[in-house]
Amino acid sequence: MNRMTTKTARTGVKGLILVAFALWTVIPILMVVLTSFKKQKDIFTVPVKWLFVPTLDNYGKAFANGDFGAYFLNSAVVAAVSSLLSVGLGALCAYGLTAFGIRSAGLLTNFFMLGKLVPAVTMLLPLFVMIHAAGLLGTYVGPVLAHTAVNLPFVVWLAISFLKDVPPELEQAAQIDGCSKMQAFWRIVMPVILPGLTAAFILSMQYSWNELVFSLQLTNMDTYTLPVGISRFVGSVSVDWGKSSAAATMTMMPIIVIGFFIQKYLAEGTTGGAVKG
Amino acid sequence: MTLKPARSYLAGFLVLPAVAVVVLAMIVPLGYALVMSLFDFGPGQESSGVFVGLRNYVAFFHDRVALGSLGITLIFTVAALTLELGIGIGMAVLLSGLPARLSKLLRAIYSMPLLVSPIIVGLIWRYLYDPTFGLVYQWLRAFGLEHRFGGLSEPGSALFSIIVADVWQTTPFILLVITSGLATVPHEVYESAKMDGAGFWRTMIRITLPMIGRVILLVTLIRGTDAFRVFDIIYALTGGGPANSTMSLSIYAFKQGFQQYEMGYAMAISLLTMLVLVILFAPLVRKSTYMERS
Repeated sequence: MNRMTTKTARTGVKGLILVAFALWTVIPILMVVLTSFKKQKDIFTVPVKWLFVPTLDNYGKAFANGDFGAYFLNSAVVAAVSSLLSVGLGALCAYGLTAFGIRSAGLLTNFFMLGKLVPAVTMLLPLFVMIHAAGLLGTYVGPVLAHTAVNLPFVVWLAISFLKDVPPELEQAAQIDGCSKMQAFWRIVMPVILPGLTAAFILSMQYSWNELVFSLQLTNMDTYTLPVGISRFVGSVSVDWGKSSAAATMTMMPIIVIGFFIQKYLAEGTTGGAVKG
Repeated sequence: MTLKPARSYLAGFLVLPAVAVVVLAMIVPLGYALVMSLFDFGPGQESSGVFVGLRNYVAFFHDRVALGSLGITLIFTVAALTLELGIGIGMAVLLSGLPARLSKLLRAIYSMPLLVSPIIVGLIWRYLYDPTFGLVYQWLRAFGLEHRFGGLSEPGSALFSIIVADVWQTTPFILLVITSGLATVPHEVYESAKMDGAGFWRTMIRITLPMIGRVILLVTLIRGTDAFRVFDIIYALTGGGPANSTMSLSIYAFKQGFQQYEMGYAMAISLLTMLVLVILFAPLVRKSTYMERS
C-alpha cells in the first residue's frame, strides 16, 4: 500500500513538471500572439487580460507604409536564394567528398566544421568593408553571401550523413547498368537523399529567416529583412507593442508551423546529422 | 585507393563551388580583418587608414570595458550552458519514460522557442520584464518581491534576466538532441541494471550518462560556441547596458565598429574573441572528432 502511494506521488510530480515546462514554453509566445490582437487599451492592463474583444488594427498598422510587406518580401528572397545555393552546392560538395574515396575528405570535413568557431561579428566587420568597397552594400548580395557561407558547412556535414545511409550496392548496380557517376547521382542517389535535403533546405531557410547580425549592417532601407525591420519597430524610443507583436506573430508563425512537420529532423539537422531524430 | 584522373577532376569540380563560397565569405574576410586590425580607420574609410601596428591589440588589455566584456561573456557562457544542460538532460530523461506518442507531442510543444527569431525572443522578454505591465512583475508583486528584482534595467540583474531568456529559447535544442541520444541506449542495459537492483540515480550516473557521453560532448560543443558568440539576444534586450553590465565581446566589437567608428579596434576585438573561442573549444572539437572515428 505504501509503495503504491509513493508511486502515485511520483507520477503526480512528473506530470506537474511536464505541464509546468509546457506552460513556461508556451506562455511567452501566447502573450505576443494575444497582444497582437488587442486594442491599445487592453495591452497595458494590470493584471494581464486573457479575454478581450479581438481586433486586427495592429496588423493594419504593421502593413501601413508598406513596411512589413516589403520586409517580408526581402526576407523571402534572401532566405530562398541562400537556401537554394547552400543545399545545391552543399549536396554536390558532399557527393564529391564521399563518393570518390578522396584521401583529404576527412580534412575538408573538419575545415567545414571550423565554421562553428568563427563569431558572426568577426566575419561581419571585414565583410562589411569589402561589400561596401565593391559598391554592393544594401543589395541582396551581402546577406545572401553571408547566409550561404554560414549554412554551407552544416549542409555539407548533414548531406554526408545522409549519403552514408545510401547502400553502396545501389550505386554500383547503376554503374554496371552503364550509368556514369553523375547519372548515378541524379537517378539513384538523389531520390534517396531528397527527404533529407528538403529538411536541410527548411533548416537553412529558418536560419536565414531569423538571422539578425549580418542583415543589420549589410542591408539598407530597401532591403531590410524581417528581423531588422522588427528591431527597428522595437528600437525606437517608445515601443509600439501592438504593431511589433503583430509583425512578430506573422514572422514566427510560418516557421513554427513548418517546424511541427520537420520535428524529426530538428535534432539531426542542428547537429549536422551527428544524432538521429 | 588511387583515382583515375578524370574522376578526381570531377570530384574537384563538385567540391570547388562550395569551398569557393566559404573561402570568399569566411576565409578571405578573416585574412582581411587580420591585416586591417593593424590600422586605425572608420567604416568606409579603409583606404585612408593609419598603420598602428599592434596598438589595437594592446589597447584591448588597457580597456576596462573590453576586459569586463570578456568576463561577462565567460559568465554568460558558463551559466547559460550549465542551466541549459541541467534542465535539458533532466527533461529528456523525464520524456524518455513516457509513451512514445505523448513524448512526441510534448517534444513538438517544447521545441517551439527554438524556431523563434532571437530578435522576437528579445521583444517577448522585454514585454514580460516590463516593470509596470509585464507578467514577470505581476507575479513577483503577488509575492511582494517586485522591489527585490531589477529586471533588465539594473546592472545587478540584467545579465541574469538575459540568461533566463536564453535558457527559455535554447534548452529545447539540448532536450531534442539528448532525447535522440537516449534512444540509442539499448533497452537490455536498463533491464540488467534493474535486475542488479540499481536504483534510478545509480542507473543514471553509472550507465545512462556515460553511454550518451558523446552526445553530451556534442551539445556542449555546439551550445558552448553559440553562447560564447552571443549577440542577438543581448542586442534585442539591452544592447549591452545598463552600465555595460551585459556587454558581451561580440556586442562590444559591433559597437566599436558601427557606433564608435573604430573599425580597426573592432576587428582586433573580434579576432581576440575568436582566439579565446578556439582556445576554449578546440580540445572539445578534437575530442569529438576522435570519438566520431572510434
